[in-house]
Amino acid sequence: MFKLFKKEFDFYLNNAVGYIVVILFAVFVNFLYVKDIFLNGSVSMKSFFGIVPWLFLIFIPALTMRAFSEEKRLNTIEVLLTLPVSEMQIVVSKFFAHLVLVMIALLLTFSLPVSFYYLANIYLPEAAVGYGGAILMGASFIAVTQYFSSLTKNQIVSFLSSLVVLFILLGISSDLLSTVLPKLVQDMLIYFSPIYHFQNFAKGILDLRSIYYFVSITVLFLFLTVVNLEKRN
Amino acid sequence: MISVDKITKTFKDKTALHNITFEAKKGEIIGFLGPNGAGKTTTMRIILGYLTPTSGSVKINGLNPGEDRMRVLSAVGYLPENNPLYPEMKVKEYLRFISSVKKEENIDDIVVDVSLEDVLNTKIEELSRGYKQRVGLAAALCGNPEILILDEPTSGLDPIEQEKIRNLIKKLSKNKTIIFSTHILSEIEDVADKVIIIHRGNKVFDGFKPKKKGSVETLFKKVVKDHV
Repeated sequence: MFKLFKKEFDFYLNNAVGYIVVILFAVFVNFLYVKDIFLNGSVSMKSFFGIVPWLFLIFIPALTMRAFSEEKRLNTIEVLLTLPVSEMQIVVSKFFAHLVLVMIALLLTFSLPVSFYYLANIYLPEAAVGYGGAILMGASFIAVTQYFSSLTKNQIVSFLSSLVVLFILLGISSDLLSTVLPKLVQDMLIYFSPIYHFQNFAKGILDLRSIYYFVSITVLFLFLTVVNLEKRN
Repeated sequence: MISVDKITKTFKDKTALHNITFEAKKGEIIGFLGPNGAGKTTTMRIILGYLTPTSGSVKINGLNPGEDRMRVLSAVGYLPENNPLYPEMKVKEYLRFISSVKKEENIDDIVVDVSLEDVLNTKIEELSRGYKQRVGLAAALCGNPEILILDEPTSGLDPIEQEKIRNLIKKLSKNKTIIFSTHILSEIEDVADKVIIIHRGNKVFDGFKPKKKGSVETLFKKVVKDHV
């Protein structure tokens, strides 16, 4: 499985796409956060983590949309599926290659908590939990996008369909929705929102229910991708 | 050894293959002949376990590709139709990747056999069609498989490149079972020991190729005409 992971990861190492998307993420997240520090008048990682889900909404589908769409377009999926590797190994190795890229992108924002620690003595374990949550949320977004990518040969369709689904999930927790939906319905739906669960991590709270939520979404969509690859008749 | 027993394949309402049975022994080169859409690729994909038959069974060295996929695919090298490759990879990277998945790190012999020494560090997208075809063939040879399944290995090549690929297939056949598909009649005459003609999903001929030059064409026209 490592060979498959390496092949997938090497694509991004040898291709401008990976660098561009990862650097753009780091630039945007740093810019959007730092520009508001002086307005807020306080230093906290909570507002930083408030930006992350919305940037992931664009960044992760942009990075992951090619995972299977491109294999299907070039028909290299037939090469992969006639090698002595299982569908699960293919899906999981692609998933981890993208997860490592997301972790590298997050690593490029480490300058913020480190500098705030020296300047304002922020509580680092709280930030670490937030980063852990961001990785879990990123993993679930990758799994969702990989699934949509396995449904189509067209990368744009893969990007847009995962963007719409992730946007709906993120939007469930928005204030706008509370003006449209009855409170009872929104209270039920909010449990499906990644933002609702990520907020716990952003506050430095390790909530098992939130870990379970992100792990469940990830496993469910990876499983659906495997099923979709097996269903090639 | 490959044993195909009464396989039928239906896609929705269309029957792509109907009751196909044949055997391929070690050292044999079997040529699949048939017009486009006859069912050659579907048969090859079923042999590999890439597709499952609607009915019937396939055994490769006594193993069912659907149940023992890993072991079967370790013993088979496959060149798919239209030779899909990763354009952004260098030839060496691609062959190393395929080899390593097949648990065989050494690609030196294959590179020499397929004459790819000059383009090892070239990106696949920069290669000519002939070289790309050789890369696909080299990938099929990675891991020293006992069985080679080649779907139209000379498709789109000029006559000189076609000749090179045919010679290579003949050279490789000593210790392997080779199944290749084509719709070029002269290719069957030149390379195959046995001919299987598939027409509209049915096997219409299975036997040793006629020795007389031009007789494969006569045979093909006759059996296809009889089954129209």
